[in-house]
Amino acid sequence: MERFIDPCCEKCIHTKDTPCKDFVDCCVEGPICHESQECAQKRKNITEKVALDENFVIC
Amino acid sequence: MYEKHIMICGATGCLSSGSNQIAETLKEELEKQGVIDKYRLVMGGCPGFCEVGPIIVIYPDEVFYCRLKPKDMAELVEQHLIGGEIVERLLYKGPDVDAPARFYDTIPFYSKQKFNVLRNSGVIDPESIDEYIMRGGYRALRRALQMDSQAICDEVKDAGLRGRGGAGFPTGVKWGFTNKAPGPKKYIVCNADEGDPGAFMDRSILEGDPHAILEGMLIAGKACGADEGYIYCRAEYPLAIRRLKTAIQQAEEYGLLGSNILDSGFNFKMNIKEGAGAFVCGEETALLASIEGKRGMPRPRPPFPAQVGVFGKPTTINNVETLANIPLIVKEGGAAEYAKVGTEGSKGTKVFALAGKVRNTGLVEVPMGITIEEIIFDVGGGIQGGREFKAVQAGGPSGGCIPHDLINLPIDYDSLTKAGAIMGSGGLVVMDDRTCMVDLAKYFLSFTQKESCGKCTPCREGTKRMLEILERITEGEGKPEDLDTLDSLAHSIKDSSLCGLGQTCPNPVLTTIRYFRHEYEEHINEGYCRSGICKPLFQYLIDQDNCTGCRACVRVCPVEAIKGEKKEPHEIIQELCTRCGSCIEKCRQDCILITRVGSEADVSN
Repeated sequence: MERFIDPCCEKCIHTKDTPCKDFVDCCVEGPICHESQECAQKRKNITEKVALDENFVIC
Repeated sequence: MYEKHIMICGATGCLSSGSNQIAETLKEELEKQGVIDKYRLVMGGCPGFCEVGPIIVIYPDEVFYCRLKPKDMAELVEQHLIGGEIVERLLYKGPDVDAPARFYDTIPFYSKQKFNVLRNSGVIDPESIDEYIMRGGYRALRRALQMDSQAICDEVKDAGLRGRGGAGFPTGVKWGFTNKAPGPKKYIVCNADEGDPGAFMDRSILEGDPHAILEGMLIAGKACGADEGYIYCRAEYPLAIRRLKTAIQQAEEYGLLGSNILDSGFNFKMNIKEGAGAFVCGEETALLASIEGKRGMPRPRPPFPAQVGVFGKPTTINNVETLANIPLIVKEGGAAEYAKVGTEGSKGTKVFALAGKVRNTGLVEVPMGITIEEIIFDVGGGIQGGREFKAVQAGGPSGGCIPHDLINLPIDYDSLTKAGAIMGSGGLVVMDDRTCMVDLAKYFLSFTQKESCGKCTPCREGTKRMLEILERITEGEGKPEDLDTLDSLAHSIKDSSLCGLGQTCPNPVLTTIRYFRHEYEEHINEGYCRSGICKPLFQYLIDQDNCTGCRACVRVCPVEAIKGEKKEPHEIIQELCTRCGSCIEKCRQDCILITRVGSEADVSN
């Protein structure tokens, strides 16, 4: 998962053709539709790579 | 993970002063040192302080380097990035700080600013939708998609947002008109046709945070029942257009534009229309005509665009800055938070392009209600060269001139209107005591006269006649009745013109007559321009008592019109002098005097 649009695992179905209502919240706080530390970490890796400081991410 | 993030200002101002070359050199230095992978280089949006560009900010250290040159990059890499020590000589220095300053907390330019609209500018990579989402982006859209259209309009009304394009009409009310208009097809138009001389607020917002505009338009679409939008942006803004195109492509890929957005059933298609740069196309009906492929000319209203807009369909037109405020208002709890800033009648912040004779030129975002004095002296650092503040032109060529006497005037819609100016889109051109107010009025009127589309007679002919009178006055051929004629013409044009251009273009003339009538009278009755701008109406003389004979003026005079021996007072040969002003700029003793034509010496003015 390099970008938020990439699925974290096979459970993520969001694409422009199969939209998920929770996609935006899921990017930073996800996964929302399932529980997985591994999938959460994948999102964290994306934010940690570019966050300038601890206040950078706004939920 | 990167050790540090290097944000290089990639906005048009810094790009034109060489930030691209700086980025290239920095990259080469990092490669040479074998440390390129440790650092993230981003060409970000505008941090605002254009006067000291090119700018680099290094995070997480929050160190602000300015006035950079490619040759500084080796030292910056070795000393700061590798050695961990700040390069003091590249920090901000100026008369307003005791010691080299590091960042927002110590640079006076930022002390009274509040970043709402510019919240992400210079902080995120404007070409990354992921970073916009990390900063809370598209959450207001997600919320809006679950709301009733009227509820969105009400929240925007409650926040007190007024249109930032000039007129200051309440945005929520405007949205309500389009929402209530009948018909299945409606449009949202973003007016990015920023044409005021000296203004670049919209360009910087588009370049620094393009997704904020898309999100604002999407929310407006939901509130108004529109499913298609146009961003009307002048082609002179190629970087803004490129970043908008990238943002649209990303939002489409992420399912945030297109069909069934976030599984809500809401569809929205976004288009960009590049304008050819006509000032009149900032006027909403001319803009709509231009989108339709017709010549950009206004039409009478009613019907208003909310009823009959682009392609004959109900349309809401909002300015860039207005739309950039929307995500902040529509987010959870946003309206109440937003309304806490500003004055009773003018909520939130306003972005201004600070230009002219002020020390710190650039882009500033300040709370509504801040005084002119605070903007010019606290944020702007005062007048260049320590000269006297004379006036500020607010609102560009459609706005008015506010004199020194009103320095404590709060900047809000109602106070500015009362003073004869308008908020306009946010251009603030500062003038010092060497600005001739008649010449200034002539400059702005010549701009609007050229930009008049010619459709209605009062604007087309009236501005031409007014300009002729102003030209005569500045050439020393003014007549006593000219002021009354100007006043009468100005009011006729304002009252009878078809669109905003004609209705507001006499403002610079009217306000300069209102506040600087004595200067007009001096030009007309005494043949004298006290500011030394209107060439037939003054002469330079050298103050014989104070001239030290340093020869600086002799060396700089391009026509050898100054004679005198070293350490002896010099003299100007009036027959040769072209009044170019080179000597007055160069004299360190301030002994070049502006005097009436034919006078021997007049130091009183």
